[in-house]
Amino acid sequence: MAKTTDRAALDTWYVVGRPEDITAAAGTYRTRLLGQDLEVRPVDGGYIVREADAGGPSGDPLPVRIAYGHVWSTLGTPARDLFPIDEFAETDRRVATCGAVRVRASGLRLVENFLDMAHFPFVHTDILGAEEQPEVPKYDCEIRRDVDEVWATNCTFWQPQAAAHAEGGQMTDYTYRVATPFNVLLYKTCPSDQARMDVIALFIQPVEEDLSLAYAVVNVVDPVSTHTGIIHFQQMIFLQDRIILENQRPRLLPLSPRAETPTRADMSSIAFRRWLKEKGLRYGVFEKNEPIPSAA
Amino acid sequence: MALVLHDYELSADAYKARLLVSILGLDCVKVPVDVFPGRETDGAAFRAVNPRGTVPVLVDGDIVIRSPEAILAHLAARHDPSGRWLPRDAAGYAATLDWLAFAAHDLKAADEARLEEMLGLPPTVADPLGGTRRAYRILDDHLVRQSFDGLPFLVGDTPTVADIACFPAVVLSIEFGCALEEYPKLRSWTRRIRALPGFVAMPGVPEFL
Repeated sequence: MAKTTDRAALDTWYVVGRPEDITAAAGTYRTRLLGQDLEVRPVDGGYIVREADAGGPSGDPLPVRIAYGHVWSTLGTPARDLFPIDEFAETDRRVATCGAVRVRASGLRLVENFLDMAHFPFVHTDILGAEEQPEVPKYDCEIRRDVDEVWATNCTFWQPQAAAHAEGGQMTDYTYRVATPFNVLLYKTCPSDQARMDVIALFIQPVEEDLSLAYAVVNVVDPVSTHTGIIHFQQMIFLQDRIILENQRPRLLPLSPRAETPTRADMSSIAFRRWLKEKGLRYGVFEKNEPIPSAA
Repeated sequence: MALVLHDYELSADAYKARLLVSILGLDCVKVPVDVFPGRETDGAAFRAVNPRGTVPVLVDGDIVIRSPEAILAHLAARHDPSGRWLPRDAAGYAATLDWLAFAAHDLKAADEARLEEMLGLPPTVADPLGGTRRAYRILDDHLVRQSFDGLPFLVGDTPTVADIACFPAVVLSIEFGCALEEYPKLRSWTRRIRALPGFVAMPGVPEFL
């Protein structure tokens, strides 16, 4: 597949790698974004990202940002700079990046799974949910026009083990935030300090429409766990999700309201899909040729 | 004294050790190793524990064991009073060792296929998917022959370390898109292992197979 022509997909920021994996010692770093091969080269204090083909790199260097434990770039001209995550400026927090995990599914499917609380008891049994307490209490959801993001607020869920260092269950408060169509975050009650929120982000590099690299990053207040313990907790959660994601059909995300049957717990997914439709995003979307039917 | 297991939650080899430790009900302290993405296994501290740079590593007092099949055999020899997990009769012992070697060699392809598909790690064997299918076919055919004799496991009528050694490579097949439809006996065998007292899963082990 060649580079997409979808402006809504091109004109936004994506992770293209982790600094630890892009080093002079490791040699030329090749990756792929939106069907386009890229070459990432470390230089003094930064990186040069260029489109590449079999003959090597070509064209002008693409914009680069180094943020949130990752290297970011774009194939288009984003209307905004990279979205802010204020918690990364707080110095007592611990940041752990979990590496790139390949998933054969549209990145949009990964975002939707990340937003979904209803699967906690069944996919993350006795960790993020308990089968005896499957109810998703009512929450609020909105498209925030000023920042062009989707937010779900006042979410709560009973969790037997909400984080790596949690001892015993808690009612966890959640806030979800879709910052761009392929970058999503959540804020959840910190088990060791109920006044603060842990941040977990899933940055998705859409390689092809139905193939994604998922980079999880954890930003937590956790004086107890080892760095490895924090990474392993998040990797375990995501690998539990991965087999579910790879078995969803179609692999691309349908936006037609009649394609899949939502319940009240899926309010955030409904808002996400509406927002994608408004943007006219087609990359990773199931419906290709006909106009997407709107809700009656 | 408790066993010490240098462990990685997502390692199929480490899962072999965790599974038998759990089934035998042994006390075990797990030391998590940041294999991916941290590559802690390449570092000097870990290489001092295991120069091969692989997990799992089992420490049992003065004894350090660095390959998963040897760990299973050691756990059974030393910590299984029933003696069933490592048969001592000549035929059972030979068959168990034979299948342990199969797990280490032939089923290596499945581990490599999984790590390539999941984490993009380059395989060291050619055609890991083809190799996996050949190994699955051999296992499935063997289980068919066992079933003619009314034997539900690889070696006999009770499970041995051979079953534990072969189990992860089979049950994690869904993680690299290798369906088990063509191997009906393999599927029913995985269900029998799931039903063992003390069974534990790992991420990627499907609830139903």
